Amino acid sequence: VSLRQRLLLLFSLTVAAAVAAVAWTVLVRIRHVFEQRDQEETALFVSQFQREFQQRSAEVAAAVDRLAAGERARGMAFQIVQSGDASPYLTEAQSMAPDAQLDFLEIVGPDGNVVSSAQWPARFGYFEPVAGEDQPTFLKTEDLPDGSSALGLFAFRAVGHSESTAAERVCLLGGKRLDKSFLADLAVAPGMQIALYRDADQRPAEEPPFLGPDFAVFDPKRMISASGEVPDAARYESLIRNAIRSGQQTSSIIYLTNRREESVSATAIPLKSDNGAVLAVLIVALSREGMVQAQQHIRTIAYGVASGGILLAIACSLWIAARVSRPIEQLAHAAEEVASGIWDVRVPERGHDEVSVLARSFNHMTEQLASQREQLVQSERVAAWRELARRLAHELKNPLFPLQLTVENLVRARELSEEEFDEVFRESTATLSMEIANLKTIIGRFSDFSKMPKPELERIDAKDVIDRVRSLYEGAATREAKIDFVTEIADEPMTIMVDPELLHRALSNLVLNAMDAMPNGGKLTISARPQGANIEIRVADTGEGLTQEECERLFTPYYTTKVHGTGLGLAIVQSVVADHGGTIAVESHAGSGATFIITLPRANQGHRLAKS
Amino acid sequence: MRWIVFQRFAISCIIALVTLPVAARTRPHYGGTLHVETEGDPWQRPNGIARRLVYDGLTTLDSRGTVQSALATGWESDNADHRWQFRLRPGVHFHDGSPLTATAVVQSLNLDCPANCPWVAVRAVGSIVVFTSDAPMPNLPALLAGDQFLIALTVTEDGKTPNGNIGTGPFQVTSFNNELLTLSANETCWQGRPFADAIEIRSHRPVHDQWLDLSIGRADLVEVPAEMLRQAQQQRLTVLVSPPAFLLGLQVTDNGALANTMLRAAIAASIDRSVIANVIFQKQGEATASLLPQSLTGFSFLFSVDRDLNKAHELRGGLNTPTLTLSVDGDGAMRLASQRIALNMKEAGINVQEVNSGGTSHADLMLRMIPLEGGEPSAVLESVSRSVGTAATPADASPASLYKTERDFLERHTLIPLVDLPNAYAIGARVRDLALDADGLPDLAGASLGDAP
Repeated sequence: VSLRQRLLLLFSLTVAAAVAAVAWTVLVRIRHVFEQRDQEETALFVSQFQREFQQRSAEVAAAVDRLAAGERARGMAFQIVQSGDASPYLTEAQSMAPDAQLDFLEIVGPDGNVVSSAQWPARFGYFEPVAGEDQPTFLKTEDLPDGSSALGLFAFRAVGHSESTAAERVCLLGGKRLDKSFLADLAVAPGMQIALYRDADQRPAEEPPFLGPDFAVFDPKRMISASGEVPDAARYESLIRNAIRSGQQTSSIIYLTNRREESVSATAIPLKSDNGAVLAVLIVALSREGMVQAQQHIRTIAYGVASGGILLAIACSLWIAARVSRPIEQLAHAAEEVASGIWDVRVPERGHDEVSVLARSFNHMTEQLASQREQLVQSERVAAWRELARRLAHELKNPLFPLQLTVENLVRARELSEEEFDEVFRESTATLSMEIANLKTIIGRFSDFSKMPKPELERIDAKDVIDRVRSLYEGAATREAKIDFVTEIADEPMTIMVDPELLHRALSNLVLNAMDAMPNGGKLTISARPQGANIEIRVADTGEGLTQEECERLFTPYYTTKVHGTGLGLAIVQSVVADHGGTIAVESHAGSGATFIITLPRANQGHRLAKS
Repeated sequence: MRWIVFQRFAISCIIALVTLPVAARTRPHYGGTLHVETEGDPWQRPNGIARRLVYDGLTTLDSRGTVQSALATGWESDNADHRWQFRLRPGVHFHDGSPLTATAVVQSLNLDCPANCPWVAVRAVGSIVVFTSDAPMPNLPALLAGDQFLIALTVTEDGKTPNGNIGTGPFQVTSFNNELLTLSANETCWQGRPFADAIEIRSHRPVHDQWLDLSIGRADLVEVPAEMLRQAQQQRLTVLVSPPAFLLGLQVTDNGALANTMLRAAIAASIDRSVIANVIFQKQGEATASLLPQSLTGFSFLFSVDRDLNKAHELRGGLNTPTLTLSVDGDGAMRLASQRIALNMKEAGINVQEVNSGGTSHADLMLRMIPLEGGEPSAVLESVSRSVGTAATPADASPASLYKTERDFLERHTLIPLVDLPNAYAIGARVRDLALDADGLPDLAGASLGDAP
């Protein structure tokens, strides 16, 4: 990871974290505010609904009051008390109830028995447990003839004068059914839904009422709204359970689906009988869709702003990182170039900060390095020239000394007889010719090194070149130097693209060097084998070997360990190998011989590399 | 003297003129249209008011319940009442003019009684209708007077199904539109022409509307259900009340859980008949535990009507019965009675669920109104028992045999008698000489119309 990337990452993360923290704080605060407002609104609506509910209760009480105070009921009560016969009024409640818009109405005689019942006409003669003193509106579960039960809002009133004695009291027990019609009649705010969780319509008589504190089975079908069954009733289970368990009004947010906007702020109000038993639970649910949509709108804006801020921060970070890292990158790049040998590199110097100081120092350093290298090159050039002069002097001095002696002998021979002079002259001219030829040879070698020919590549097998070298030098080596000439060639074909003459010359140089290294005989081994994509040719001797320093300088032109060597042989070998895209190396330890390793690419690759 | 004679003559004329309308008022008038309103279908059995006006039976019952000849002038039994032959009244014609034949009678009877008939076979021999059976049919003449066996024309002379209801009765159908059935007098009726020219029967009219129509003169005869009799009397309506004409009974299946006779007996013991009679039917019925009313036999009191809840529990023996189904054949008081019965049974630990009468055939219990037809006690007993699918025929006409037969039948508890109920009608001021038949239906053929007061 580059410095710029690291800087960019650091800046971006820092800014993004800051923006995210701010956005999160804002959103949490907004949500808190919205929820608080939602709760206040729900409480307000619930309060309004409770007033509406109380109004309905008052209406029921008023309806029963009107009936009880009416002439019809008073006449009936008088007749019942006077005659003691209530049977003529068997269907009276059925006809009175619709007039008063009551769902339930029972006429209770002085004995506390039902005289007439609108909801269960056959129940006449049975004792009504509610009979007693006048009561305000209360909730009661009423059994119905079909075996079902219904929850109702009831009022109990005595007919006529309240000062009547108990034995003369005929009472009315009237009520309205708490069902979906009742819920539909309630005035509710927009977005508000009223539901009722109540006892099952059909419940075996032997079963206890279901809404006790330990009620276990939640039946969604028991929850009704004005439009019938509530589709998501199961979602209200925990709320209803809590309300029943605590007996108190309980509020909660109910998520109807996985979408947040499809949620309601629900309040469960337990509806209790006189003895405190929970008969039903009224659920007031207020849709949170508008609030959640507003919240989501704000959140979307916040996310947009935050995202824009983060993108802007990234862009700024990118610019800053580039501005900070560019000089350093230039310095690094320049340093790499210097490392690769390009010393005349300069980096721009801008400003007066630490980076510009570093750039100036770098430029100064490269200037110094270039200057020193120039000095070194000049020194080496001088040294090379000196070495060349020394070599030339050395090489030329050897033939020159015999030449001088021969000329001096020839001068002295003028004083000898003609016959002796002629003999000396012949010998001297022969020596002169030989030494002059020797000088020519020396000069030719130097000339050859300076004018290495361009290789003419051919596809050959390395084995052929080695065989040719062996056939050339094996006889001489064996006879004259008592050297055991060994070749170890791999069986598989080792095709290479080389100039056969140049490679032959290079191998011959190595063989001659090896033979020179074993004046007292030894073993000379030429081996060839494939090595991956290359062909490896080894020329090994068992001579004295080379020191580490010799190994390092061995391929330097004009360096030689021989007394009469020019120091150009191995340099020529290295030049030939390099021209063929190969490498040459030496492995040697003092006293254990030396091995020269030539690595040449196989035919196709070698050809390509040679061309390149 | 002449003046005195003249005075006497004048006074006599004046008296004659004054008394003439009075005399005319007491004498039946021919003519006029009688307006009748009913809550149910006038053709519906067992008390369809139009059936008795349009059709006749082979026999009929007089007001005392004695069997009288009608379309049959005489009858004899052979082979210990296993075979009966009825001679048809000659010269009787159906309303379409076709003669009454023994074949037409047989076709009508076969149509009326496809199964569970008192007889095994009925056939026509000349002008004689012959009934045969494997069992004695001592009550056949009385049974044939019942509403079920009225004779209607089922096939015309040209072999087609007649268009409409054609009988031999005092009135014939003129039209039936918009729930208004119009009958016109049968001028050639074998009983003689009825007094009224026509009768208009408006059906499916609520009782209170009938009473309103009666009070404003739009109706001459309206129904008074037993439970509203007291109310009608309080409203000072002129009401004709029959002796017990129907038995309100609970038919109990003997299949499934109710195959247990003890459970059926528990049901019988659990029902509070008195409350049903006194409150639901406003003391206009008589609580009964017998098939035959007290007025008919005199021994009805031997069957206890008291509710015994402890006995019901004991008979049930703690048996946990499934919820039984109860259907009711009627509305109003019938439905209320069924609810009360369900309530009574629930107290005895037997749960009952009411079902629509559409599922009557599948209900475990059926609350029914059974007509007390037949006149003679043994005939009534057979008629009632046949209505629930089992014929209870006494060995002879002695009270002991009758009691034993009735007791044996009741001990099966497949029909639990509850209340004997009368049939009642309220009549308008211009209706004259209207009486109720032995079966409680009004004899409209004998009624005439006078001027309204």
